[in-house]
Amino acid sequence: LKKGKHTGSAQSIYSAPDNLQYIVTNAPELGILRSLGIVKNACIHKMMTHRLGGPVLIKVDSSEIAIGKDIAEKIMVRG
Amino acid sequence: LKGLAGCHELNEDKKVFEKADKILLMGNPNVGKSVFFSSLTGINVISSNYAGTTVSYTEGTIKLDDKTYTLIDVPGTYSLEATSEAEAVAVRFMDSNPLAVICVLDATNLERNIKLGLELQKYNVPIVYALNLVDVAKRHGNEINVSLLSKELGAPVIPTIAVKGEGLKELKGELQKILSSSNQGCSNCSSCPGCDGNQQNPWDRAKEIAAKVRINADGKLSFLDRLGNSMLKPWPGIPIAILIIVLSLGAIVGGGKALRAVLLLPLVNKLLVPVFKTLFASILPEGILLNVLIGEYGIFVIGFEWIIALIFPYVMLFYVVFSFLEDSGVLPRLSVLFDNIMRKMGIQGGSMITILMGYGCAVPAIIGSRTATTKKERLIISTVVCFAVPCISQTGALISLFAGFSPILLLLMLLLSLAVMMIVSSILSRTLKGTVDPMVIEIPNLLMPNGKAFLRKLAIRMKHFLVEAELPMFISVVIAAVLKETGILSYIAVYLEPIVSGWLGLPKDAVIALILGIVRREMAVAPLLAIEGLTALQAFVGGTVAMLYLPCLSVFGILTKEFNTKVAVTIGVSTAVSAFVVAGLINQIAHLFI
Repeated sequence: LKKGKHTGSAQSIYSAPDNLQYIVTNAPELGILRSLGIVKNACIHKMMTHRLGGPVLIKVDSSEIAIGKDIAEKIMVRG
Repeated sequence: LKGLAGCHELNEDKKVFEKADKILLMGNPNVGKSVFFSSLTGINVISSNYAGTTVSYTEGTIKLDDKTYTLIDVPGTYSLEATSEAEAVAVRFMDSNPLAVICVLDATNLERNIKLGLELQKYNVPIVYALNLVDVAKRHGNEINVSLLSKELGAPVIPTIAVKGEGLKELKGELQKILSSSNQGCSNCSSCPGCDGNQQNPWDRAKEIAAKVRINADGKLSFLDRLGNSMLKPWPGIPIAILIIVLSLGAIVGGGKALRAVLLLPLVNKLLVPVFKTLFASILPEGILLNVLIGEYGIFVIGFEWIIALIFPYVMLFYVVFSFLEDSGVLPRLSVLFDNIMRKMGIQGGSMITILMGYGCAVPAIIGSRTATTKKERLIISTVVCFAVPCISQTGALISLFAGFSPILLLLMLLLSLAVMMIVSSILSRTLKGTVDPMVIEIPNLLMPNGKAFLRKLAIRMKHFLVEAELPMFISVVIAAVLKETGILSYIAVYLEPIVSGWLGLPKDAVIALILGIVRREMAVAPLLAIEGLTALQAFVGGTVAMLYLPCLSVFGILTKEFNTKVAVTIGVSTAVSAFVVAGLINQIAHLFI
């Protein structure tokens, strides 16, 4: 897997380019996100963002997770 | 709309925590726990809600050698941090001194599942791990060193493919062993390798273990795996989703018609009704009482016709299809594909599952809306279902009504229903206080459901439906019979004629539909079928009134029970008003052009 090209620069997982690996720099304090392993410093793979305000599809370890736009915009990542 | 909290009158069983012979079945959501449960337990299953929450658990008995234990299917959780109701219930069960725990691990999501497995070890209860979905993991290119995993966890690990029943015998054997040994879990023995990482953060420890035990192998994705992946992308996901919806509807509507024609109508018309007619006619004199019992709309006539021949086949087939979509992992994929539309309506993709359920019957959909994370979302979903989602019996009746005209009418009705749904949802999301949480869902593997677990779920659903709807159905049958057979109906009809004939442009006989529509949704359509010479416009206007009209008595009952009377009355009045306004406008505007 390739690494994100915008090394170092923080961006939300919602707008980050597809099919790349990212490190979470900041995630909202939500029980469900913590349970799914989407926490600070977690390594996640972004698959795609659905159009028209749809969810982001990511992979954490080997599980696929869909995250609604409003939360995904608050999950900050770096490449 | 305050006081939403209302009272959840759920079946509660406080004693379940005190039971001494408890074995807990635990694991992450979507790991196939219910398949283990139905394979391990006998026929007697109780499904209840844990007091004060919307979380339900299922309880059954498991036999090991000649001893019987209580097996509890604890709600699936990702962790034991008590951040949600389900997790709080799981913690409470772990604290209640269970004899043993069967922890189901998903081999395709090792890290997170091992993490829960490690958290469970802190409770000092003997655990046996079932490593499920090993076949899917293998296809994904991951084999797992089971003996190493067992060593790392310090507890037995049995590889299983629960949907095919593989590994269940071994699991029972291992469970038997840990129950009969005096060893009280791993925390008591300092030499146990499972305790090495006790001081470490469970996440880090889980990742470490997962990395150690996972062996990369050549995986070959099956057709279902590839289908599951492609259903997550708009192309070809959306066309596949539409195809699935069309096929599902076809199976329900077509299958329902076939069941009615071949089995149920002959049963009702040739056996049940004649038997009761003969019986009552022989013991009662002719008159109103006899008519109320066995007249054209008599209790023992429409009671059988509606409940057995009209409602039952569609409800059953709907649950057959719905449970299949649910157990196969199709529904979360639909949620992902349609989350953008749902988000614009002020709700989120996950609620689509509940709304789809409403196309069967609003009663289970309103109960199912308990899974919504906020009260606001729960109220929006329930209202939308009452306003714009025709139940399966009504859909059947609408299809029959439009059959004589162009299929375009049916398409227009569908578009109208979707438009009303979006408008109602958008208005409510802007006016109601509170918030709606955005979607966060884990997407399960697509798989073929297990027959036994599927049938068990279907049986529980049908039982729930009958228990919830039995009384209101019977009451509505009695009201309809009394109104019609005593002549009260035609007396009321006179007053409603200006609205029916003037504003809506319907023949005056349609009044009956409006009155019976209060009782049952499909009865707002059925009387229209009997009217001769109905124009396409009249059929569409009549169908519109019926679809938007009051939810039936059972729905009114469940709204009162799940929310409160105020919510039920508000929804009832606003649906009735919107039905007359929208249908009347359609009629008046159409007349400007004709």
